Amino acid sequence: MAGVSTKEIKTRIRSMESTRQITKAMEMVAASKLRQAQAKIACSRPYFETLYSTITKIVESGTELSSPYLYRESTGKVLYIVIAGDRGLAGGYNSNILKLVMSQIQDKEATVLPIGKKTLDHFRTKQVPLFTEAYPEAAAVDIGDCFSMAKLLSRAYRAGKYDEIHVAYTGFVSVLSQTPTTLRLLPLSDSPVPKGNGSSDIVYEPSAEEVFDTIVPEYLGGVLYGALCESRASEQAARRTAMDSATQNAEDMIADLSLKFNQARQAAITQEITEIVAGS
Amino acid sequence: MTPFPLRIVTPDGIIFDGDAEELIVRTTTGDIGILAGHVNCVAPLGMGRATVVIEGQRRYAACMGGLVSVLDGQTELLPTTFEWSETIDPHRAERSMQRAQTVLSDKDSSNTDIALAEARMKRALVRQNVASLK
Repeated sequence: MAGVSTKEIKTRIRSMESTRQITKAMEMVAASKLRQAQAKIACSRPYFETLYSTITKIVESGTELSSPYLYRESTGKVLYIVIAGDRGLAGGYNSNILKLVMSQIQDKEATVLPIGKKTLDHFRTKQVPLFTEAYPEAAAVDIGDCFSMAKLLSRAYRAGKYDEIHVAYTGFVSVLSQTPTTLRLLPLSDSPVPKGNGSSDIVYEPSAEEVFDTIVPEYLGGVLYGALCESRASEQAARRTAMDSATQNAEDMIADLSLKFNQARQAAITQEITEIVAGS
Repeated sequence: MTPFPLRIVTPDGIIFDGDAEELIVRTTTGDIGILAGHVNCVAPLGMGRATVVIEGQRRYAACMGGLVSVLDGQTELLPTTFEWSETIDPHRAERSMQRAQTVLSDKDSSNTDIALAEARMKRALVRQNVASLK
């Protein structure tokens, strides 16, 4: 009787041990990938920030042109670029960003550009119209893809297919904290810019319209790349934390089971001795 | 010459952040030169040589895509790629050009292939030109 239960406990301990090994390995892989991703962020963040602040300054300085990029009345046709991961086992990383997007697009006529397998699967099952399915792997998207994506997006925006373009990504705050965020990319301004008052003192070469037409796709591409870098680092950080706690849990369970195992073994020995003593 | 604050930032990191005396970059409509006290301006960048004068020393770079802006004296150069002449590998550029040439001379190449090869050729030419200015 006692023998059966010690055997059972032993099998469970063994299975816990192999689980711990896997989670430990995943944690270490995530930690090393996180280091790379953090180094990448350190490089791309200044670009991302400078680009964003420069464009904001240009918009705020009050231009006399009426580019569709600057302001457009919203009729509810929005496009969301959603960046999530390709794999699970990363804590709340995927579900948090998807939940945030779902809550924002509820009452809108939304189209989604999914980046990453999890996003693609999610919006496919929810039957949300997709802009393209060309990016099923978030890890494979490079800076060139970001710029070609940006070109397509700005063309679709100019054609009037969408009134707003947002990007949803997970901002990397620290190794322990990542926040899902959405950012409006287009239009650039909240309100119609006053026309023709000449308040702007910026010289555009060759003309304001042409500058905006060339700069906006570049801006979109740059911001997308930055968001992608942030998301990737967040994914690795989330996975590392999740796997760390999984390893911790496995260790706790192993300790608990070992104690039970020893108790059962001790009980069996005691019983045997009692039987021998009683028999002699 | 009077220096002015200049920042050169690419997706690969901050290339330069400090005072420069002169900046010449190739925009989509031609070269523009920027000195201290330049009027506020914004222009998209083309592909070409960039010249930066820092503490009297003239440095060259291959600078492609992105934008340049001067706002209240602060100059921001935000190219997609920016390579100082001494970091360019001319042999790599040469090889890249040869690859582009084979695509261009192939009659069966598709339009997108040709467009890509042309862009590659242009980049390689810029790099070679800049590398020779070391």
